[in-house]
Amino acid sequence: MKSSNWITLVIAVVVGIAAGLIYGWVVSPVEYVDVTPGIMRADYRADYVLMVAEAHQREQDSETSARRLAMLGSDPPAKIVESALIYAAQNGFTENETVVLRGLLNAMQTYQPQGNNAP
Amino acid sequence: MKNLPRNFFLPLFALLVGFGIGLAYSWVISPVEYVDASPALLRDDFKDQYRIVVAASYASAHDLARARARLELLGDADLIGALSAQAQRMVGVNESDSNKRALALLATDLQKGVVSIPATRVSLAPTAQPTAATLSPTESLVIQTSTPTAETIQTPFAMLAFTLTPRPTFTSTVSVGAPFALIGQDTVCDPGVEAGLLQFTLLDSRRRQIAGVEIIVTSIAGEDHLFTGFKPEVGNGYADFVMQENISYSIRIVEGGTFINNISAPSCADPNGKKYLGGLSLTFQQ
Repeated sequence: MKSSNWITLVIAVVVGIAAGLIYGWVVSPVEYVDVTPGIMRADYRADYVLMVAEAHQREQDSETSARRLAMLGSDPPAKIVESALIYAAQNGFTENETVVLRGLLNAMQTYQPQGNNAP
Repeated sequence: MKNLPRNFFLPLFALLVGFGIGLAYSWVISPVEYVDASPALLRDDFKDQYRIVVAASYASAHDLARARARLELLGDADLIGALSAQAQRMVGVNESDSNKRALALLATDLQKGVVSIPATRVSLAPTAQPTAATLSPTESLVIQTSTPTAETIQTPFAMLAFTLTPRPTFTSTVSVGAPFALIGQDTVCDPGVEAGLLQFTLLDSRRRQIAGVEIIVTSIAGEDHLFTGFKPEVGNGYADFVMQENISYSIRIVEGGTFINNISAPSCADPNGKKYLGGLSLTFQQ
């Protein structure tokens, strides 16, 4: 085979790969429809933590709150709340919301898991 | 011309192979990673959990507009329908009663478009004065103070008006924990209604339907826990249960402790004399 033919083949393969990547990443990327909460956008995560904090304010049930926070990932609950507090400070959450989040943070910092994984 | 097929197909084949490699890499080996997903993309079980947290948060903060906005993030075409459907799924499963009650309350409030106030315990500071101030009959938020160290309970599911002006002369109808009385027991002989359907309607002292009230139905087959408000399209104080033939049931309204027994599905007859299992409609009022 002539060298010019090899060059043509290599160029064809490279062009094919490029076209495949563009198609797979841009034109028709993998669509996620059943995602886990761990990859939610930061504002949604912070709002979710705020909801947990608001519920905790009434329920005062650290076990339930920790279980709800665990939906956001494997980080310790206190760390998840800390991240939400940082987001809250940077994005103009109200004083009341910040207080509620701090209340949850205090609860999670002293929370000791009971080993109960019931939903 | 002799070399045309080879000159043409070989590069085309190479192009296709390259395209396949590129596709495999972009779809399988290194697909697009979503890092900023919205709640609408959550798996169904996570969406259920999300709704529970929205409802629990609402039960604490009583911010209906915000609860609605949060639920809208899930992308449900029918917010109330999705809540009701989840509430129905939760009946009989290992889910806490407070979660069920919170969902029912939120579904009901979204349906009505107004905020309800669930029964909450308020511990008063030792310096509180033993005075009471309430609102007008149409503004049924009840503000209570009490003797030092007393613990009071607010009216369950009282409607919160938006322009409240306290008028201290009105005598409130605080009915927290007040027992429900059976004020109506009607046999339902309608072939179009599910056989053995036991329907509950719970009313407060002002004859308004109350959501979130727990009812326990007990029989030899076991115990079922129902909550009013899971079918807001029927009524906020409505709940139902399907009775079996020749089985006697006991009913307990958890709030107030009302108990009745020997409830069973009646026998009905159609115009041709053919018998079928009828239903019962029970109405309770505080």
